[in-house]
Amino acid sequence: MKLRMHMPRVAAAGLLGAIALTGCAEPLEDTIVVGLSADITTFEPGMISSRDNANIARHIFASLFTLTAEGEHVPELAHTLEISDDGTSYVYTLNEGLTCHDGEPLTAEDVAYVFNRIADPANRFTGNTPGFVFTSIGFVNAEALDDLRVRVDIAQKNPIAFGLMTEVYIHCKDAYEAMTLDEAASNPVGSGSYRLASWTRGSEVVLEKVREPGNFQRIAWRIIPEASTRTAELIAGNVDIITNVVPEQVEAIDGSGRAEVQVVSGTRRMYLGFNLSDEHARMPGGDAIQDPRVRRALQYAVDVPTICRQLLSVECERATSLVNPPNGNASLTPYPYDPERAERLLDEAGWRRGANGTRFSIRLQAGQGRYVNDVNVVLAIAQYLEDVGLDIDLELMEWASVYTPLLRERQAGPLFFLGTGGGLWSPIYDMTDLAQVGSGTNYTHWDDPRWFDRWPDVVNAETPEARRVVLDEMLQVFHDDGPWLLLYFQPDFYGVSNRIAWQARRDEHVEIFEARLK
Amino acid sequence: MSDHTAEGLVLSNPRGSGFRREAERAVRVMVNARWPIFAVVFLLLAAFAAVFGAWLAPFDPNRQNLVLRLAAPMAAGPDGGVFWLGSDALGRDVFSRLLYGARVSLTVGFAAITVGGTIGIVAGLLAGYFGGWVDDVIMRLGDIQLAFPFILLAIMFLVVLGSGVWNLILVLGVGQWVTYARIVRADTLSLREKEFVEAARALGDSTPSIIFRTILPNILAPLTVIASFNVASVILSEAALSFLGLGVPPEVPTWGSMLAESRDTLVANKWWLAVFPGVAIMLTVLSFNILGDWLRDFLDPRLRERT
Repeated sequence: MKLRMHMPRVAAAGLLGAIALTGCAEPLEDTIVVGLSADITTFEPGMISSRDNANIARHIFASLFTLTAEGEHVPELAHTLEISDDGTSYVYTLNEGLTCHDGEPLTAEDVAYVFNRIADPANRFTGNTPGFVFTSIGFVNAEALDDLRVRVDIAQKNPIAFGLMTEVYIHCKDAYEAMTLDEAASNPVGSGSYRLASWTRGSEVVLEKVREPGNFQRIAWRIIPEASTRTAELIAGNVDIITNVVPEQVEAIDGSGRAEVQVVSGTRRMYLGFNLSDEHARMPGGDAIQDPRVRRALQYAVDVPTICRQLLSVECERATSLVNPPNGNASLTPYPYDPERAERLLDEAGWRRGANGTRFSIRLQAGQGRYVNDVNVVLAIAQYLEDVGLDIDLELMEWASVYTPLLRERQAGPLFFLGTGGGLWSPIYDMTDLAQVGSGTNYTHWDDPRWFDRWPDVVNAETPEARRVVLDEMLQVFHDDGPWLLLYFQPDFYGVSNRIAWQARRDEHVEIFEARLK
Repeated sequence: MSDHTAEGLVLSNPRGSGFRREAERAVRVMVNARWPIFAVVFLLLAAFAAVFGAWLAPFDPNRQNLVLRLAAPMAAGPDGGVFWLGSDALGRDVFSRLLYGARVSLTVGFAAITVGGTIGIVAGLLAGYFGGWVDDVIMRLGDIQLAFPFILLAIMFLVVLGSGVWNLILVLGVGQWVTYARIVRADTLSLREKEFVEAARALGDSTPSIIFRTILPNILAPLTVIASFNVASVILSEAALSFLGLGVPPEVPTWGSMLAESRDTLVANKWWLAVFPGVAIMLTVLSFNILGDWLRDFLDPRLRERT
């Protein structure tokens, strides 16, 4: 027992010994080093889509308003916003004396240029702003009213358009007009407090401070894909903050005396999707999951709290819908783990066990290396589904080049494992994944009119209370007959050096502005 | 066996010792050298585990038990059983997976050598016997393949074909053929001018008969040595590809994939997840290498007097 208690320290000591052989150098006092798990691909504001990429870009580009860790939208480059009575016109007033990194004054004309440039189909941008923000709000046009006021027009009233527009990265017109798209992808000229100093692809991005806020002169973002290497670098003192710590390594980090792990309840919604497209309905098992009774039965087959406790090292309450708590339907309770009930419901739905004990075969696809302990979570889910009589054909794929294209084409399935980013500031933000049947983020092809026909009611609700009623009814439908096998909101694990004071956020935003030396 | 072949064997083995005499000498040499005995014993044990693993394994190797995950060796398992070598990150029994892993690793090793050896021997015989443009085409193909790092080639093929045991065997087998082809070609070039081959031609034997019944039996000895070393390298390649996630499906245990799964838990001091499959790979490869060394010495006529 005594030996067991010392194991993390022994492990950390061993790790430190190994690291000592390879050498280590603590970062300079004016530099903070962040270790990321995934590589970044671009600094083109219209093409940025991954969270890691956005986290770096956020320090280079400021936005009109910004989202705080508490989920509030506060002024940044703009100080006021006026919304027209019909809800389709947003007029922002900029702060005076703004400039971009090259010294060019940042005016309303520049902001209008940013919006219109990203929406320009000729540029073929596919990042978060054109692909999610603009399609969700129905962006129409942006126009400078004078030097400080810019008007953004959207197609129809949208209760979360203001929040979504905080995700647009602002820059200046002249610098970007002078560059080709390729040049813009690697030479960002931003409006934020840091500028790009160097970028060694696949290895490191270094930013230099040009204005407040920010307590460090330099931020070095190192790409370290392998989890054990990130942990070793943190314990060695070569890195100050690391993302995506593997739960099994938490004890080793905490026992090292040089760093600690911060665990936060994240907003990413993890689920097993049922792809209901006609194409997938013709595949083995694809016909079975068309039946909502089968989908409901499978909800009871998976022991989500045990997965959280054992594989993610946290206690969690199972999700009741796609909306982050506490914004969900408060009357919904999570599906319990009840395999007998699952079997009974599958029998009632007409999918009885055959002579070989199997009800039906079905393919389950997943990427690997993207989410916390994802491979083991998928293997555990496959086991639970096999326990109630399914024959799972599991396909684990490389994330970036194999699985992501499948998702983009909405071709993953019939069962697929996925996590999509969420937010805390509005339930509608989380529900916007399923804004339309044809939305790029509706990976399941779900088309239930009890959900999709209610969006006009959400938009036109006269009071927040009336809107809440509609949202709760939609979430009830999603809970009962929805296209997701509901799992959990992913906990996020950050390793933080003892020399740094920094607080992890729930929304996966890694912002270094407030970080400081202890 | 034809007379010509018998003649060929006599030429390659002038002392004319019989099979029994050679076998007795092989055992005597092996006992004297000692290490080959250990290698053979270990490989027999591994083969036994591979064949009878399903009966020997105390648990279903894929049965998960999340509440008993990462149990140390000798810890209590489900249903009163014991995790002799501990449990992995999903609560699966490491010992049972090791036994099943032996089957996959050894099967892949031998099957890949069979595939590569067959292609290489046929290609080498054709190149060596016919010469000319046949030789040029075959050997240039081999040169082109050797210009690529093997592991890169294997990754490319597996990304295109998809992972799986049969694809793995195919890729690893195809990766080995050049070695066999070059050795067989060189020996065939020499043998095709020998008197016993000329005699076979004069007696009207068909070309396939001359190639496969007269020449081939006389070049098998060096190939067995090459194959014994090659099995070891193929098992290592399987482990490397499984480590990269390109080997067999995740639910199929192999020693390489078990090693890969241990990466994240090694820092957490769950040493048994890396040590046991690692030792299994090391001992198997070492055994094949020792056996190959012994076989090379045993078959070398220059060392015959000493042995």
